[in-house]
This record gives sequence, structure tokens and C-alpha cells, in this order.
Amino acid sequence: MNLGAIWAMTKAFTKAFFRNKVALFFTFLFPLVFLVVFGFIFGRDSTPNFEIGLINNSETELGRGFQEYAEATGIISFQTEGDREGFETKLGRGEVDALIILPEDFGSPDASGLPTGELQLFYNQNDEQLGLAITSVLESVFDELNESLLPTNQPLKIAGQPLQTAGLSRLDYVFAGLVGFSILSLGIFSMSEGFMQDKKSKALLRIRLAPIRSWQLIVATIANRVIVGLIAIALMFVAGKLIFGFDMRGDYLSLLLFSIISLVCMLGFGTAIAGWAQNANQSSPVANLISFPMMFLSGVFFPVFLMPVWLQQITAFIPLTAIVDGLRLITTEGQTIFDLGPQLLIVAVWTAVLYAVATKTFRWE
Amino acid sequence: MALVNKLSIKVAGLAKSYGGETVVKHISFNVKKGEVFGLLGPNGAGKTTTLEMIEALRPIDEGEVTLEGYDVRRQPYEIKKIIGVQPQDAGFFEYLNLRELLAMFAGLYGQQVDADKLLEEVDLLAKAKSQVKHLSGGQRQRFSVALALVNRPQVLFLDEPTTGLDPQARRYMWELIQRIRQRGITVVLTTHYMEEAELLCDRLAILDDGKIIALDSPKKLVEQLLKKGFKKKVERQAANLEDVFIDLTGRSLRE
Repeated sequence: MNLGAIWAMTKAFTKAFFRNKVALFFTFLFPLVFLVVFGFIFGRDSTPNFEIGLINNSETELGRGFQEYAEATGIISFQTEGDREGFETKLGRGEVDALIILPEDFGSPDASGLPTGELQLFYNQNDEQLGLAITSVLESVFDELNESLLPTNQPLKIAGQPLQTAGLSRLDYVFAGLVGFSILSLGIFSMSEGFMQDKKSKALLRIRLAPIRSWQLIVATIANRVIVGLIAIALMFVAGKLIFGFDMRGDYLSLLLFSIISLVCMLGFGTAIAGWAQNANQSSPVANLISFPMMFLSGVFFPVFLMPVWLQQITAFIPLTAIVDGLRLITTEGQTIFDLGPQLLIVAVWTAVLYAVATKTFRWE
Repeated sequence: MALVNKLSIKVAGLAKSYGGETVVKHISFNVKKGEVFGLLGPNGAGKTTTLEMIEALRPIDEGEVTLEGYDVRRQPYEIKKIIGVQPQDAGFFEYLNLRELLAMFAGLYGQQVDADKLLEEVDLLAKAKSQVKHLSGGQRQRFSVALALVNRPQVLFLDEPTTGLDPQARRYMWELIQRIRQRGITVVLTTHYMEEAELLCDRLAILDDGKIIALDSPKKLVEQLLKKGFKKKVERQAANLEDVFIDLTGRSLRE
């Protein structure tokens, strides 16, 4: 066991990696681009917010107060600049969710001196759901107003309270998936492409002249990719925290250990593919064939529970599922590496199988 | 016994087949310590395959090879430690400069290397920080020799070291090989060029169709041919076109 020889290769490969601009882009920048895109999609406050056009023809006090009152709910924001025709166009385009018209007599007192009025709400007939939602929000606004004007004691009430488990935003949930995706692409695509390049240029043949066994080359390459992968993951965490205020619940030591184990496992795919393949025509279809189903079946981009039960039972045994689950349990539930027994077991079995195959099928050219 | 100790490589009954076709047909020869031994022959004669079997890069089908007392079949990694190989057809890792490549390959043998000294030996010190892709053909070939020397080998294998080089670069390579020989390193090389073999090799074997058809020193091989009554149509010329070329363009390297 010549550790010096392995370290000599790891050092050189890592140096070379940081001079390869294409590899740098796909390893470090690409996941960040993904993160930013998903961050802006999911990172927003998930409370619905209705954008409503308002034409207020009422001069009464209630009419003037309505806008302020409704906006105080935090659910509605009004656009007031424009006429009816303009708002209807906007409604058609989906730029506003609804249009409210307060008639001139809105809020004028009736015989008993209490203000009365009828609010006109227009919404897109294709968006019945949205219309109902806005109607119910407005009803609750009016209920409060009615209550303040004419106190009554209503026997039945709904006590609604918002509840979010552990206060997670959707980004916090998606984040683990993005890290998993990064580990997948590093382990399979980046690994097999880099390896095929060295096979194509016949650089590997030169290594073979030295007293080096194939497993030593494999260990050196894996070590190089683990170093690179950890940097990529660290960058994602920094960006997630700085830009989107990502909420890390677990400890970083568990995250580090689980990341290393996950990287080594997924690199097993890349090593097995690239070690066996003689050229890129052989390696890239196999890499795609393995990656894409794994990507969609492992809960990277959407939750596994949306799949039929029989499929869920299969996906549970896919290594990326275990990796993404493990990462999620650490980052969102604060579990430690010791709580991840089932995930570690699946990852360990895959790692053993993959490297057994990789060392058996390895070819220098 | 004394004679045995002087041998560097013993090849006995070496054979190799690919898909039922025998490309190396039970050849035997010895290489003495410190000599330059040439393997000559037309393309496809089995030169490279023979070399690769001796270098422990290709499994041996039949026969025995001993190198500096090690059995190639049983101790391939011991062999690799003490030989240097300049392959005909191998690339370099991208994005690393010459100095870094030498350091890495020295590391593969568990050794340290004075990269700059080695680069100076092959006249590449000025290129220490360049990547291989920015080298000319001759420079690349010289660097390939430097890499083969990185582990201070006892035996150096050069597979067609001058193929594709211009006259200046070829002459430089000849001088380099003679310098290496003076350090006591045994050199085994293949070539297509007879003047190169005549100049460099102490002894040579001519391979054709997987068999050795002649083995001796260049001088003796010529004498044997003359004894058979061979006469070349000679026009006595004190110089040839290559001499003209070198006279006009000079001996110094052009890269």
C-alpha cells in the first residue's frame, strides 16, 4: 500500500482540476445557478398574495377606509391606477388576480344610520378557485367590519391558526435535493467524463508504466473528487445561507461525514462506468441511462410521496434516495449521522457493490 | 556464472497470440548490462508487442523473461520499479506543467526528483512551466524520455524514439541516448532507421513476422552479408543529402 503514490496522484489531479475552466463551471457555478433559480421560485414566502385592481368610486368614509382595512390583512395588495377597461385587460393577462369596484353609494348609511353597500368583484371565469379564495378573504374582512359596526355573538366559529412544521420554507426542503443533484452529477457525469478524457489522451497508459495498481489510481481519483465535491457543497451552503437565509438545523460534522460517504458512493457509478468503457460513446449513454431515472425517482426535485406506492417501494432502495433523505434529515430535522442507520445501510451496500464491479471491470485503455 | 551476472535481460521462447494469430513466435535473446540493444523490423513485425511483454505491460502467453534477476510474470511490479519506458503511444495529463508532471510521476515510484536537473538534461528547463500541449514534437519526445528517467531506472526502453523528428531533433536524441548509456543504463530501443541502429546499437536483433532472423553487432551483420558476396552498387560520395541539410541548417535544435 503506497500512500505516497496515491497522494502524488491526488495532488496532481486536484491541481489540474482547478485549472480546467469547464470543469470548474460545471462543478461549482452550475449548482449555484440551480440553487438561485430554485431559491427564487421556492424561497418566497409561501403565503398567498392577491394582486387586485381597485376602482374606488365611493366618497364615503367606509369607502376610503376599505382599501386600508383590506391591505392590513397582508393577503391583498391593490393597484389603484387605471380604469375598468385597463384592469380587465390586465385580468385577462393574469397581471392582476381580480378587479374590485366600489360603487358611488358604497358605505352610504341606511335608514338606521348604519353604512351599507355592495362590493363588485370580477375575476377570471377560468379561475374559479382563485375567485372563491378572494371572495372568502373579502368575506372575512367584511365580517370583521360588520362585527365592529354591529356586535353580535355568533355561536359557531372557526379558529384557524397557521402551522408550519419546524418553520421550514420550501427552499429548506428543496435544498437537500439540490445538494443530492450536485453529488449525482459530480459522481457520475464529472467523474466519467474526466476519466474518459484521460483514457482518450492515453495519459492513463503512462500511469500504468509505473508500479501502480488500478485500485490505487481509483482511490486517488476518488480522493480528488471528494475534495472537489466537498468544496462544491460548501459553496452551496454558503450561497443558500447568504442569499436565501437557508435554515440549517443539523450539525456540520454529521453533514460533512454524510457528504463524504455519499460522494464516495455516487463516485462508484462514475468509476464503474468510466473504468469499464473504452470511449465516450460507451460511457455517456450508460451514464445518462443511470442518472436520469435516478434523478427523477429519488425525490431530488419533487417529493417521493407523490409517486404510486409500488414505485415508492422501489425508489427506497435507490442510493440517491437514501442520500437525499439523509441530507434532508440532517439539514431540516437536525438529526445526526447516528440517526441515519437505514440510509447508511443502503449507501454502504451500493458502495460495496459498485466498487467491486469497478475494480473487476477496470480497463486502462 | 560470471556471464550470467552480466546479463540484464533474458528472453526465452517468448510468444504472444491475438485471436488465434501468433504475432510473436517463440523468440529468444539476451541483453547485456550497459549495452544499447536494438530491435529492428518492418511495421507489424512484433517489436512493440515484444517490448510490452518485457515491460510487464502485456500478459505473456508462453516463454520466460527475466530482467535484472526478476521474473516478469511473477514480479511485474518489481520490474516496473527498475525500468524506464518511453512508449510509442501514450499521452500526458492536461493542465499540468512539465515540473508538476515529473513530480507526480516520481511520486508514483515513491521517490523525490530534482525536476529542474532532469529537464536540463533534456534541454527543456526553459519549458519547465509549460504544458505538454505547447511543446513541439521533438520537445515532447525529449520530455517523454525525461519522464522515463524519473525513477533512475537500470534499464531504459525507447519505442521508436526518433520517428517523426526533424534531422536536428533526431541528432539531439542520438546524443541523449549516448549520454544515458555512458551513465551505465542498459538501453533497449526499436527503430525503423538503419543509420540510427548502426550508430547507436552495440547489438541488434532483426525481427520479421514475429521471428528473429538475425542477431549480432551492426558491424558483424554487415561483414556476414559481404562474405556472402553481396555487392552494393556504389557511387563513392563523400557526403549525402542529409549532410547538405545539416550543413545548411546547422546542428542546433529548432524548437
